[in-house]
Amino acid sequence: MAQTALPASRNSANPLNLKKWLGVSPFFLFAILFLIWPSARLMIDAFLDTQGRFTFANLAQLFQNPTIVSSYLLSIQISAVTALGGGIFGFFLAYSVTIGGLPKALRSMLVTFSAVASNFAGVPLAFAFVATLGRTGLITAILKNVFGVNIYTAGFNLYSFAGLSLTYMYFQFPLMVLIMAPALDALKREWREAAENLGATVFQYWWHIALPILMPSILGTMFLLFANSFGAYATAYALTGGSLPIITIQLRAQISGDVLHNPSLGYAMAVGMIIIMAVSTIGYIWLQSRSERWLK
Amino acid sequence: MAYLSLSNISKQFADAVVVQDFNLDIAKGEFVSFLGPSGCGKTTTLRMVAGFETPSTGNITLDGANITDKAPNQRNVGMIFQAYALFPNMTVSQNIGFGLRIRKEPESAVKERIAEMLSLIHLEKHADKYPYQLSGGQQQRVALARALANRPQVLLLDEPLSALDAKIRVSLRSEIRAIQKKLGITAIFVTHDQEEALSISDRIVVMYEGKVEQVGTPFEIYNFPKTAFVANFVGTLNTAEAEMVDPAKGVIKMDGVQFESANQVEGQKKGDKVAIAIRPERFSFASEQKKANIVDCKIENITFLGSVVRIQITIGNTKFNMDTFNNPFLELPKIGDKSQVTCSREAVLILDRQ
Amino acid sequence: MNENLPYFAALKAFASRARDRVGDLWSWFWYLLGVLYFVLPLYATLDFSLHMQRDTISLLAYQKAFADPGFLKTFVYSNILAVITILVGLLLVVPTSYWIRLRLPEARRVVEYITTLAIVIPAIVMGFGLVAVYGAPIKIPFTSVQLTDSLLNSPVGTNFIIIMGYTVLALPLMYRSIDTGMRTIDVRTLTEAAQSLGASWTTIIVRIILPNLRASILSGALLTFAIVVGEVTISSIMNVPAFSPYLWLLGQHKAYEPAALSFASFLLIWASMGIIQIVTGGRAQAAGAH
Repeated sequence: MAQTALPASRNSANPLNLKKWLGVSPFFLFAILFLIWPSARLMIDAFLDTQGRFTFANLAQLFQNPTIVSSYLLSIQISAVTALGGGIFGFFLAYSVTIGGLPKALRSMLVTFSAVASNFAGVPLAFAFVATLGRTGLITAILKNVFGVNIYTAGFNLYSFAGLSLTYMYFQFPLMVLIMAPALDALKREWREAAENLGATVFQYWWHIALPILMPSILGTMFLLFANSFGAYATAYALTGGSLPIITIQLRAQISGDVLHNPSLGYAMAVGMIIIMAVSTIGYIWLQSRSERWLK
Repeated sequence: MAYLSLSNISKQFADAVVVQDFNLDIAKGEFVSFLGPSGCGKTTTLRMVAGFETPSTGNITLDGANITDKAPNQRNVGMIFQAYALFPNMTVSQNIGFGLRIRKEPESAVKERIAEMLSLIHLEKHADKYPYQLSGGQQQRVALARALANRPQVLLLDEPLSALDAKIRVSLRSEIRAIQKKLGITAIFVTHDQEEALSISDRIVVMYEGKVEQVGTPFEIYNFPKTAFVANFVGTLNTAEAEMVDPAKGVIKMDGVQFESANQVEGQKKGDKVAIAIRPERFSFASEQKKANIVDCKIENITFLGSVVRIQITIGNTKFNMDTFNNPFLELPKIGDKSQVTCSREAVLILDRQ
Repeated sequence: MNENLPYFAALKAFASRARDRVGDLWSWFWYLLGVLYFVLPLYATLDFSLHMQRDTISLLAYQKAFADPGFLKTFVYSNILAVITILVGLLLVVPTSYWIRLRLPEARRVVEYITTLAIVIPAIVMGFGLVAVYGAPIKIPFTSVQLTDSLLNSPVGTNFIIIMGYTVLALPLMYRSIDTGMRTIDVRTLTEAAQSLGASWTTIIVRIILPNLRASILSGALLTFAIVVGEVTISSIMNVPAFSPYLWLLGQHKAYEPAALSFASFLLIWASMGIIQIVTGGRAQAAGAH
């Protein structure tokens, strides 16, 4: 290193600082080239009409076009349902292997399988559910032959809202388990003992202390689950072939130019999606930081 | 009848017996410490009183009522934990008022009691703060107030000072003792720090490997330890192997040096090997005053500890520590000198063989 | 002594556990429900895949599936791409994470925002974004000087872009894996200790940092692998011969082979996650949905 008259200081005007940022520049360059700019490009193009002029028309369509609005609503509904359902189910599962006191080996298995399940999403998951609850699926057959219940005549359809939600749950609740298990570990045993010592029943302990402490974590993770479901594409596509018009599928259809030659409308839909995802993710991050502050 | 009575208590986990033959009667308003190293069973015993562990055998009686099988939220005991255990989602006031609100006391009474407790621990200005905004010492005081707000019959403290800085430890332990005296509440204090136990207890129960070694006042425990463990654990101590010469007169020989002891242990015969112990502060230089035992020694090392000067001497072949008060005008011998030290017959303790 | 001790101990223990008993029942209920939910679809897939031959159990579906030339071609393709993606990811993340810990803690926030952004932007949006930007010829900004033709016009260009896309998808997981590893081994202290003993930068990185990061690197690599092989969104937008689009297509006109391949996928992922569990001692990671 060249000898300088002045020692390196933390002064941001010092040219040495610029050299420091050089170290992370490949990362930033990568991010700009392949994440930030492509996304920005789409978002900018959302404001262009078919002749390339600036317009709000595409964005306006998000609120006016009934197909698009119903697409968003459908995605929001599925995401909310699977976030809530996956959240609750995942919470109880995480509870059972932490505070619930099941053997350590069971916890380890649950964690591994949760990692597997959340990675299994996409085409194989869709096929697995078809084999389970499709018209000739295993469970469908068992219910029909053993219990005499034909779920399909009763109105169930795997390729519908209910079916997709059920399928999404397969990767939603494992995500909840993986995040909540450490959070439940952080519940100190002494809190329960102190509460009991002061006269509280188990229920009162949960109601006044444990649940309030866990709520930011639980809610935050549900936000994450929401975002997770909202942005999912592959599973739905493989399962329903595009027949269920959730927003991701609708987006693909729009941009791939099947219907109208207005890819900008698709880009506008992407903008809407990004905003919803961002709100959800920010909710998750904010709530996580709140819970960390309390559990210091 | 004693206010709090533990009779024939024992606790077994799987294949390990953690507490055995524990018998203790505690009077109302008494401050008792359970003192011992990690794993001696003191915390387990405390938790049995609190109801978090069930005794394998024995009974616990509080104010005449047998509470052995009562659930922890049915006993009226207050517990203070080492890790404070304040509820992080509640303010100081809410923490303190928790027990009362669970009991559905009228809100005005609750508010009054909270104010009373806050002034007791001198944290009135922090009523609306959350635990993460408080220091360790403050949190522990809030924990104390929270337990006391419920008007418990017994206060149980599980190493409450271990997680705190040294200075806070000293001031907080006096504060705890002062509050306990003022309220006249019975208390059991678990600690591994003998200085803590000695300074604030009415009585100390020294425990080791699940058994009670000795029960007594701090004075008794320190000056008249009954077993080698108690002697070693509480305060510094010199120990040595010696041989019994004359059991009737209490004459023993260590490394050819003769000592006379006023303490006798039954069943000793001439020729038996015994363990003797002498507290460092019981030695003095023979040139100053002569007591019953006068022995030759050699000065090995001198360490200046402030108010105390610790001199390492060799008597016979054994090293002993001798503590003497600092006196700027006293001329101390030099290292390597030969000298004479003296101690009384009562100072030579003969310990139970383990 | 108390010969009665064990008997009384057992009795008391039984009584005091009565309260815990109910808790256990509740836990077992949820756990078994969870096991059911996990296992049934997998079992159904397996069962279906074994029944290609009427009335008997056979591995025919597997044989046919693996023998299909399309399978080999796409599987190999995805694997190769996965390996390259892993290398790119490591090359990006490890030095950056190290640099931040050692020299530039201020950059940490920014890097974390970027990884969060990678989560916020759904794969489908990113796929189209990449096409929009790289599907057009690359020009010097604000001029009409053309540097190259659209990258997506050539297979090499397409592969390049899609590897970058995969890397972005895997970035959050790779970063979290490596970053956690660096924190656990306290890279800063290790580096300072090594420097005080006279080690050069190469020695430090090669002989101290990397070996200690083995678990994190393996973990990140396996997660990336699972993501790339299972990726279908960007792959189908860019029309590359990847494994998952192939699997989807197969499912359009065959029944048993897709089931066989799906089950095989599951086994592969299970093996990967199992290895990660063992190697990291339980720090499992979840991928998002795709």
